[in-house]
Amino acid sequence: MAEITVEMVESTPNAGKAFSPRDFSMLIALIAIWAFFAIASPTFVSARNLSNLCVELSITAVLALGMFVIILPGQIDLAAGSGVGLFGGIAAVLVNKHDWPAPAALAAGLALAIGLWALMGAFIVKEKIPAFIITLAGLLIFQGLHWRVIESTTVPIQVGSDVNMFSMLTTWYLPPVAGLVLALLVILALARAEILNRRMRREGDLPVDPRDLSYSRVFVAAQIVLLFVIVANQHLGIPLPALILGAVALIIYMLTQHTRFGRHLYAIGGNAEAAALSGIAVDRTVIGAFAIAGAIVGVTGFLQTAYVANSTNTVGEHMELDAIAACVIGGTSLRGGKGSVAGVLFGALIMVSLLNGMTLMAVEAWAKLIARGVVLAAAVWMDVRMKRKT
Amino acid sequence: MSAPILEAHNITKRFSGVVALKGVSFDLLPGEVHAIIGENGAGKSTLIKVLSGLHPSGSFEGSLLIHGNAAELRDIRDAEAAGIAVIHQELALVGEMSVSENIFLGHEPLRNGWVDWLRMDREARVLLRRFKLDLNPEALVGDLGVGHQQLIEIVKALARNSRILILDEPTAALSATETQALLEILRGLRAQGLSLIYISHKLDEVFSIADRITVLRDGETISTAKTGETDSRTVIRQMVGREITDFYPRRNLSPQPSRLHREEGKYDAGAALLQVEGLTVSNDGRTILSEVSFEVRGGEVLGIGGLMGAGRSELLLHLFGAFGRREKGSVKIGGAEFIPHTPADAIRRGMVLFSEDRKRYGLVLDHSIGFNLSLSSLDRMVSTGGWVDQVEELRRNREFFQSLRIKAPDLDAAAETLSGGNQQKVVLGKALMTEPKIVLLDEPTRGIDVAAKLEVYELINRLSAAGIAIVLVSSELPELMGMSDRIVMIARGRMGECFARGKATAEQLMASAVGTRE
Repeated sequence: MAEITVEMVESTPNAGKAFSPRDFSMLIALIAIWAFFAIASPTFVSARNLSNLCVELSITAVLALGMFVIILPGQIDLAAGSGVGLFGGIAAVLVNKHDWPAPAALAAGLALAIGLWALMGAFIVKEKIPAFIITLAGLLIFQGLHWRVIESTTVPIQVGSDVNMFSMLTTWYLPPVAGLVLALLVILALARAEILNRRMRREGDLPVDPRDLSYSRVFVAAQIVLLFVIVANQHLGIPLPALILGAVALIIYMLTQHTRFGRHLYAIGGNAEAAALSGIAVDRTVIGAFAIAGAIVGVTGFLQTAYVANSTNTVGEHMELDAIAACVIGGTSLRGGKGSVAGVLFGALIMVSLLNGMTLMAVEAWAKLIARGVVLAAAVWMDVRMKRKT
Repeated sequence: MSAPILEAHNITKRFSGVVALKGVSFDLLPGEVHAIIGENGAGKSTLIKVLSGLHPSGSFEGSLLIHGNAAELRDIRDAEAAGIAVIHQELALVGEMSVSENIFLGHEPLRNGWVDWLRMDREARVLLRRFKLDLNPEALVGDLGVGHQQLIEIVKALARNSRILILDEPTAALSATETQALLEILRGLRAQGLSLIYISHKLDEVFSIADRITVLRDGETISTAKTGETDSRTVIRQMVGREITDFYPRRNLSPQPSRLHREEGKYDAGAALLQVEGLTVSNDGRTILSEVSFEVRGGEVLGIGGLMGAGRSELLLHLFGAFGRREKGSVKIGGAEFIPHTPADAIRRGMVLFSEDRKRYGLVLDHSIGFNLSLSSLDRMVSTGGWVDQVEELRRNREFFQSLRIKAPDLDAAAETLSGGNQQKVVLGKALMTEPKIVLLDEPTRGIDVAAKLEVYELINRLSAAGIAIVLVSSELPELMGMSDRIVMIARGRMGECFARGKATAEQLMASAVGTRE
């Protein structure tokens, strides 16, 4: 699913630009990472691990998309990881200890997530407290609340072995035939989007890509979609988290590229003063961005907790950093105003590939922490360097 | 008379082709207050920068002499060592530090390598007493008023044994009483033998404190005269100088054909779209505008002039809902009361602002022309379902791209790749796409070339022909005189007399801008 959205973004009206050297070096980095792990640990490319990788990617990428919506207007969210733990924990406790039906428990967690994140956003814009501080406080407070809610124990997400909606989040797979039908629909939608976009650009006197390029773009996208579904079908089918990622990516893509709200996010990050004088309600837009990010933190919390199968103290730990790294690797500027959904998904894929590969190779926890830190620093360093050049 | 303490001979300073100073000579005697005056852009700031080492020796032609010896100032430190201190309009104080810490900032008295707090406090007290300043050296500078901060800046300069003080618009932010107190202190400094260079737009102050007055215009020294041997009328004439036609050679070549429909008096046809009455605005407790009243009809261009810091931009920003607090007065749009809280309110009521600093307030630089053009108008381009209607957006963007003749490959080009004039057009296009009834223009031709200026003028004429009310703020008198139906000058937040088109000379306008009566 991730790859599908990559292709959709390439067909936006802003895609007249050539492939940048930065994109290219990132692609090479990804290929190098995959080649290295495939050789060092052949199970990396087994159907089963690719399916796991897909679930892990989905979880990290969903959270990174929430982070993206916050970074676009030039803010930051350090509380995302703690939120993942907290909202998963709340849902788990409601299901396991209070016998709530799973859908109600998830809805309650989601509503709380949106409320708390909107509150943080309001503090940031109305009281002019830097996002760094508010969300750092959030990191500590939400982690504390999480530990309190689960009383620092291990709370399963189901009662006994009763399967529920919560537990199915990471154990349900789309049947292979349905997967193929979906792939077909997605390919048709991609082709249609490409045709419509070409027509619009032609009518608007904007440069239109050569016909061959459009054909091959749709063709390559179709191949990737099919390949993805076939590989997924080797192991039970497309995992539900991948479908959720597809939906979230599509929503965030449409939101950022095709709504006023999204344009305003870019404008605020690009030049807040100009945005305000252009009649944009800066405060409301930033609070809105936090509310959306909150919803995504909630969803990620459910997914991650379901993937672990229990809520424990460590669920969600450091996930905000992976999300920030994914955004920055994918070309999102930490100053705001720049970035794309496709880039974020790509960044998440690099991050998750590294983590998954290191786990397979039984790299020790301390070394994994250091590797994450180095990748984060290197990604930001690249961001700063790119900025200096322009 | 004793020998000059500071002399500048034949200073010429060029900035990539533009000559900012042309052979300016200037001298300063011990125990003298020497005022430098001139219009915006006359070269005052450049001269100060040369005198204070900000433009290092070698970056300009001509020579500097301090105490009769040739001086080569490489940077501000050299200037400080030579006893020259500049007090800029923007104060260089750390609000979170105490008075004494600020006075000795960068020159803290040391004892065995540690800061000697006791000595610092003691010396600060001595200095403050010398200027009869009743201030606690331990008070935080940020808690003091602007007037006191200004004085601390001066004390700071004196703590470094400066003999020459350069004051750049020292009273710009001060109230009348604070100004008088400051002038009193400056007179005291002069009595102690210090030399002061005093830069100000306010002629009454200049005449009350200066011993000599030098007038700069277009980078040249026009005159240097003893205060008693000149008067404000002469000085104003010298500041304005040439005939209007000299400013706009291009306008002579194509003499405003589109203005013909608007001979004097004809604009009366339009209704008053914007009415401002007794508007008093404050910001951070300071009164910025007082009792400002005017009205603009549809199809009329009201020119607002004045010197920098007089409150022109603040007036426009306030009307647009982006600055200050309204203490008194009313603003009506189309006869209905309007209290703007945000620019969005103003845009909804059909008023739009074009701001002078296009990079800061106008453009999202790394986004495309199209992104910027439609930014304020997305509300009108929403299709069913809440999506931005891309086809409609593209249509509108193309329309403006073509009608404004923006020179760029296409709408996808990033705003930062455009020339100044074309960036200006994008910002104007953004404003006009909102289909305004009232357009507030703040220095619409600043920093763009003559050809682009002409296009902006033609656009203004087109807009007024379409019945739009226009408020044009400009620092350039000829621009105001050439474009406006009526002209008012703002001086220190107050509005002067209103002149009908062709009824005022540049001298009268300048007199109104500096707030003196003839």
